[in-house]
Amino acid sequence: MAVVEKVKESEKVVSREFKEYIRPPVADPGFDESIKKLTPEKIEKTINAVLNMMGGAATFVAPLKTCIHCALCSEACHWYQSHGKDPTYAPVAKLRMTLWEMIKRKGKVSPEFIKQCARISFCECNLCRRCSMYCPFGLDITFQMGMVRRICYVLGVVPQSLMDYDNSLSATLTQLWINQADWIDTMQWQEEEVRAEIKNVRIPIDKEGADVMWCPLGTEPKVATYHIARTAKVMNVAGIDWTVAARDGWDAANMSMFARGMETMQRIVRGIFENALRLKVKRIVLTE
Amino acid sequence: MYDFITSPSIYSFVRGPLVWVAFIVFIGGSIYKTRSMILLAKKQKVVFPYLDLKFSLRSFLHWLIPFDSRNWRLRPVITTVTFLFHIGLVFTPIFLLSHNILWYESWGITWWTLSESLADIMTLIVIFACIFFLLRRIFASEVKFVTFYSDYLILAIAFFPFFTGFLAYHQFLLPYKTMVILHMIFGEIMLIAIPFTRLGHMFYFFLTRAYIGSDHGYRHSKDW
Repeated sequence: MAVVEKVKESEKVVSREFKEYIRPPVADPGFDESIKKLTPEKIEKTINAVLNMMGGAATFVAPLKTCIHCALCSEACHWYQSHGKDPTYAPVAKLRMTLWEMIKRKGKVSPEFIKQCARISFCECNLCRRCSMYCPFGLDITFQMGMVRRICYVLGVVPQSLMDYDNSLSATLTQLWINQADWIDTMQWQEEEVRAEIKNVRIPIDKEGADVMWCPLGTEPKVATYHIARTAKVMNVAGIDWTVAARDGWDAANMSMFARGMETMQRIVRGIFENALRLKVKRIVLTE
Repeated sequence: MYDFITSPSIYSFVRGPLVWVAFIVFIGGSIYKTRSMILLAKKQKVVFPYLDLKFSLRSFLHWLIPFDSRNWRLRPVITTVTFLFHIGLVFTPIFLLSHNILWYESWGITWWTLSESLADIMTLIVIFACIFFLLRRIFASEVKFVTFYSDYLILAIAFFPFFTGFLAYHQFLLPYKTMVILHMIFGEIMLIAIPFTRLGHMFYFFLTRAYIGSDHGYRHSKDW
């Protein structure tokens, strides 16, 4: 059975708009500090800009016109399942509390409401797309939640850790502020480490014409270097002609996609593809 | 009011011009709405390149067969009710004997008819399914949370043509002629409402399922 989190009476956060939405408080400077900078005009302008742009997208408009409010998507959501079937965790309920309300009020919402939207879209939904597999119409609920994230992102209301990843990616194209020298140095260091076990192992850097270009996550060179050593062992024992890119655009951790920072998101993907074209590789292999 | 609604001119109005209006709005509106959604989708980069006829048809079939998809199997009661409801809602009006007689009298065309008793049962199923959906909207917490007035309205739009039709056939409550006029008005309201309300899920179903079915097919997975 699911364990229902008991919220202390004195601490609980009750939504002003939805009396059913009761949560324990969470302190995140990404939410609490950034909503202080918001004004109603800025919020209205941002929401309407995003919604107007999405008004031309059929994948956004069709679900709004089709959803019959049957709540058959609820069972799909692990948040709903693991919170004692609290109706406010159902996928359609999350849309009702965020996007539908923004549309209904034409973007005239308070900073507190944006904080609540950010909490729902970032912290109570993983964008796993399971709900669209349970919806009889196959409506892409996740895409709509992603747009709520996008609105929050444009307003700067994003969980602090995620915003830091996004900042790092936008500045260095790596998740964890790794510079090029550190990256190359780490690969050479790991090559030496593996050579203690397998004779003459290579981690080829920038080898043109290799079959495979491997793109790790930024976490691997930063804190989990043994993953690089293991990958090197696997590639060498399997006899794969592989390489890693020396230039920026080797990090496959697309955290900006989760934050819906579309601008950085596409730069990351473009960086990887440009490296692959430059090195003339046949395949790109990513860590997951 | 009673005299007004039973007057012959009202009868000939709802039986004549209003039927034309209802059918023209229904067919024209449906085509217009579907077409504009398809045109909108064409402008988007991620829809049409992925659309695939095989995967779309697989998706339609998979979700139009009761208990085929996972969610239908997880909720046997709702699946049974919703399938019986939709079958009754769509096929009873098309194959009802009295409707077919009207077609024959007007245009001299005929097709299959349901037996009177079967049509009666299907109508009752639709009526009780509407009540089931209403109770679900009121008492199931997850549905209640996302229920708006418009949800009750579209439920009523689907309910009243069948309810008045049933009463007219059995000649309960009001005189036959009054009830039949009410029945025709409600039926025409329903036809007109379909393209402009969320009752339009009738044709949007095929668009949204084609998209998600192709999306899953493209990724070599089934759409549950």
